[in-house]
Amino acid sequence: MSDVLELPFTEARAQVTPAEYVEASMRAIESRNTALNAFLRVSEKPIGDFPIAIKDNIVTTDMPTTCASRILGDFLSPFDATVIGRLRARGAAIVGKTNLDEFAMGSSTEHSAFGPTRNPWDTSRVSGGSSGGSAAAVAARMVPAALGSDTGGSVRQPAALCGIVGVKPTYGRVSRSGLVAFASSLDQIGTLTKTVRESAELLGIIAGHDPLDSTSSSGAVDDYTADLDKGVRDLRVGVIPEGLDKLNAEVRKNFDEAIDVFRRGGAKIADAHVPSIESSIAIYYVVANAEASANLARFDGIRYGMRSGVGGGLDDVYFGSRAQGFGPEVKRRIMLGTFALSSGYYDAYYGRAQRVRERLRGEFDAAFRKFDVLLTPTSPEAAFRIGEKVDDPLTMYLSDIFTAPASLVGIPAMSVPAGFNAAGLPLSLQIAAPHFGERVMFRAGAFFERETTYWKRLPPL
Amino acid sequence: MKIDRDEARRIADLAHLEFDDAGLDRMAEEMTTILGYIETLAAVDTEKAGEDAGTTPLRDDVLAPSVDREKVARNAPAWENGFFVVPAVIEGE
Repeated sequence: MSDVLELPFTEARAQVTPAEYVEASMRAIESRNTALNAFLRVSEKPIGDFPIAIKDNIVTTDMPTTCASRILGDFLSPFDATVIGRLRARGAAIVGKTNLDEFAMGSSTEHSAFGPTRNPWDTSRVSGGSSGGSAAAVAARMVPAALGSDTGGSVRQPAALCGIVGVKPTYGRVSRSGLVAFASSLDQIGTLTKTVRESAELLGIIAGHDPLDSTSSSGAVDDYTADLDKGVRDLRVGVIPEGLDKLNAEVRKNFDEAIDVFRRGGAKIADAHVPSIESSIAIYYVVANAEASANLARFDGIRYGMRSGVGGGLDDVYFGSRAQGFGPEVKRRIMLGTFALSSGYYDAYYGRAQRVRERLRGEFDAAFRKFDVLLTPTSPEAAFRIGEKVDDPLTMYLSDIFTAPASLVGIPAMSVPAGFNAAGLPLSLQIAAPHFGERVMFRAGAFFERETTYWKRLPPL
Repeated sequence: MKIDRDEARRIADLAHLEFDDAGLDRMAEEMTTILGYIETLAAVDTEKAGEDAGTTPLRDDVLAPSVDREKVARNAPAWENGFFVVPAVIEGE
């Protein structure tokens, strides 16, 4: 029998019993996790009909939630995140919690307090981030699917670097209740799977209004699988030219070939200019860090997590707990965010960034009056080596150039495997759609996947 | 914007973070580099910015069950008689 974890979800469930499915996942984790460090914790007794992994910044009552930070200690949430409740109600067995950059701040999972997650295609390279553990777990066929969170590309970029499908839904489509907050106007829970259909099915389970998250949409949830077989004839496909000058020749050629796949399918292709994309990293690192500096003020050694500076006064507890609990990247971002919000600088930094963000949103609105979906590469390059960028924060930040824009304007976007470079590392196409346009995004993604079938190629396990 | 050691210390105090002098110098240098990149935003024309994204609806202000106290206590670094224990805030004698 072929490995059940290599089959799409529905086929796998038809072939084996629920217990066998979950057991197959547990065995795969046991044999492959040591090499990859994708899981921070594995469930002792997962119960359910199908296995799924959860990024360790989404709270669960049966396993601690660490956010890959020392500051949370052995925090055990008093409640399940809304997405966890929805998954359990549909029979999901949570098999483990996956590694991430501390508090989801990073593009490589090297900023985890518990060591980097390695890329299954080449273990000397990063898995991407911040949902690197979830991406590696699915790519290495340890689980059929995983949840991640995406603030500026944290689902799509690791999915790209690991050769799988990653979906960031429209802001407000999925409840954020129980997702530990990083940047509240950007954070969104997303899916990581082998195939487009599996992501469409999984999003159908987790999407919907939640009274516990006032930013969640009360609009009806679409049937995301309805148009998967429809093809792209006459679909208006825009190609965003901004940022393409930053690609190396190999990635550029791969992107051009991806566009050709849509052309052959009968799509109408034209350039879709979104000039302010060039500003998106600058906007992102003001807005995201400003919100992070406020959200992370709650980690102070008083109510949960580690406490340090005991024996002194209250300030000693605050300063001591945060100094020892947070890693260097988290501190850097809190510093930048605090600066951008501080008296005298607020207008020049935060106010300015929000105005450019509104301009970006206007440009995307204009583009979607002419196009059904927009294409870019997901990442300007394939997986880089562990250690290559970790001491150069700005260069690391620039790896989000194609993913941050969709987060800033709140639209859905997905990464789909688009082939391999000469070194055998995965490359990826990003498909973006208008607000709540997930259905057409999945339609375009499913077409591309059918024509290319890159998902069938497995990393050396 | 050039951040020096004193400015980095001022920001660290606001953020409830602490660094030694070498850490402050490194932070100041990294912040200067990153802020230099961010300052490219000053050149963007925002006269024709789009509309803002709208407001978030508020829920009705009604009582609802909250989290279980016992489970909250289990996560607390120090807990006594239903309260979080913190160092004395008011100086005693």
